Amino acid sequence: MAFVNLQNVTYQYPLTKTPALQNINLQVDEGEFVAVVGPNGAGKSTLCYALAGFVPHFFKGEISGTIEVAGKESSKSTLDEWVLNVGLAFQNPFNQISGAKYTVFEEIAFGLENIGVPREEMKSRVEDAMALTGIRDLADRSPYSLSGGQQQRVALTSILVMRPRLLVLDEPTSQMDPIGTREVFGTIRKMAEDGMTVVLVEHKMEWIAQFADRVVALKDGSILLEGKPGEVLTSDLLAENGFGSSRYTSTAREAKKRGLWRKENLPVTLDEAVEGFALTLPFSSPKGAPRGRGESGK
Amino acid sequence: MHERLSFHIKRDSVIHRLNPLTKLVLILALILIAFTFPWYWAPHFLLLLAIIPLGILGRVFPEFFKTATRLILPAASFLFLMQAFFQPIGEDVIFKFYFLDITQESLMFAFRNAMRVFVMVSAFTLFLLTTHPSELMSDLTRRGLPPQFAYVIISTLQILPQMQAKAQTIIAAQRSRGLDTESTFLKRAGSVLPLVGPLVFGSLVEVEERAIAIEARGFTSKNVKTSLYEIPDPSFDKFIRWSLLGLVILSIAANLWPS
Ligand SMILES: Nc1ncnc2c1ncn2[C@@H]1O[C@H](COP(=O)(O)OP(=O)(O)O)[C@@H](O)[C@H]1O
Ligand SMILES: [Mg+2]
Repeated sequence: MAFVNLQNVTYQYPLTKTPALQNINLQVDEGEFVAVVGPNGAGKSTLCYALAGFVPHFFKGEISGTIEVAGKESSKSTLDEWVLNVGLAFQNPFNQISGAKYTVFEEIAFGLENIGVPREEMKSRVEDAMALTGIRDLADRSPYSLSGGQQQRVALTSILVMRPRLLVLDEPTSQMDPIGTREVFGTIRKMAEDGMTVVLVEHKMEWIAQFADRVVALKDGSILLEGKPGEVLTSDLLAENGFGSSRYTSTAREAKKRGLWRKENLPVTLDEAVEGFALTLPFSSPKGAPRGRGESGK
Repeated sequence: MHERLSFHIKRDSVIHRLNPLTKLVLILALILIAFTFPWYWAPHFLLLLAIIPLGILGRVFPEFFKTATRLILPAASFLFLMQAFFQPIGEDVIFKFYFLDITQESLMFAFRNAMRVFVMVSAFTLFLLTTHPSELMSDLTRRGLPPQFAYVIISTLQILPQMQAKAQTIIAAQRSRGLDTESTFLKRAGSVLPLVGPLVFGSLVEVEERAIAIEARGFTSKNVKTSLYEIPDPSFDKFIRWSLLGLVILSIAANLWPS
């Protein structure tokens, strides 16, 4: 059975009229890296909260269906047990700083102190996690003195250090530059290869296409489409439903209308775009073409 | 943004190495003795023979001196003047200023009280200079202080400057949309209202997110918590604490002794 298993999950926040999640069925295997996309208000964050136990244990409201992770059912667990298996980092890094610690090192150790990890093990785990996300040089800084992108790395590290079996990330790179985003995606990919299951909400389609195993497209609380990144992210259904697409996809879609894109599939990444346009544009030379400038996200 | 959000000065000294609870007991003992010991010169004596040597031993004397002269001394002087003038005791007027009399007694009384306050604030300053807040809280939590309580104290200490910075940002934003924050008091009082919304509503959302974030990091776990720092509590520290407790009891007893 799947490591993560959501069956007919419908959830409505208190005092709201429409459900934020409607009849969600989602299975994720252990070690799989699933990306979730969708327009604002689609229910992406709510889905993250549902996976991480905060729906329904923290946000009240009405829930039906079952949420299982690692063979345990959320409604039969308590939140403090649940978070040992499922780690959550979300978008706003400032609010994820515990506020109880004076240095980044202490901040990352906070979770381990809470769950009672012995001191020596704690130190080595914090060191390892900081090395993994490339923030060793921030160890003695105050978490409040960091830039947004650095704070996001600290927030991610603070969750990674707890070694959850399922890692849920809600737009964890929103304040990072392209280089930072690429590094973080690389780290997450590596964690997935080492067996951690990852569910990631992200807008940066090119990065999803390069790193994720599968994409789930959410709209109005329901799953609209699900499948391989290359297929989902280029589908017309998504374009018609107000999902953003990568600039390469948009360009190629326009080009296709004018007969300048001959391949069957639209590209998501720069490399795919270069490859496709090389077939139609006589003056392009895919090998010697200058690269790098267009590699940013969004 | 602020890099340093605590008074603590990281140095290695005998005082820094004391267990945080010992330091807490030490300053409380100094304060209690200054206020209860029935000898007139007790607070003066404590300042010279305890506070100043502790500052030197703790290698924070320059910082302490700065705080003492810029902050504590003016406050204590103000207190001294108020009490010297308005304390209606004694006959022996030595100085007259319109209807205000200063008597020998009121002068002595005011001097001692100002000195007591000086000792009290100085002791706290020394404590803050030589004690890391995280270490204090870890130690007290280990001794049974509820972690939620420790969390509230530390995070409040840290969040205050953040709130201040945020209020500044909101004011700047509202001002750029034409909000008047600089004219007469009444107008300004009225124009502060639009600030309350973002600050309070923003804070509520923040509180919710922060609660989620610390919960996600096992804050309410039922496991026995551990601490990143090893905070030693040798028997020497225990001996100091018990001795101090004894001194305080003696001082209070002497104070209550029918004379
Ligand atoms: N705490 C809350 N209380 C009530 N309604 C909420 C709350 N959080 C989100 N919602 C609503 O649930 C829906 C889904 O929101 P969300 O999961 O945050 O979407 P997304 O992350 O995809 O932008 C929205 O209609 C939103 O207004
Ligand atoms: Mg969201």
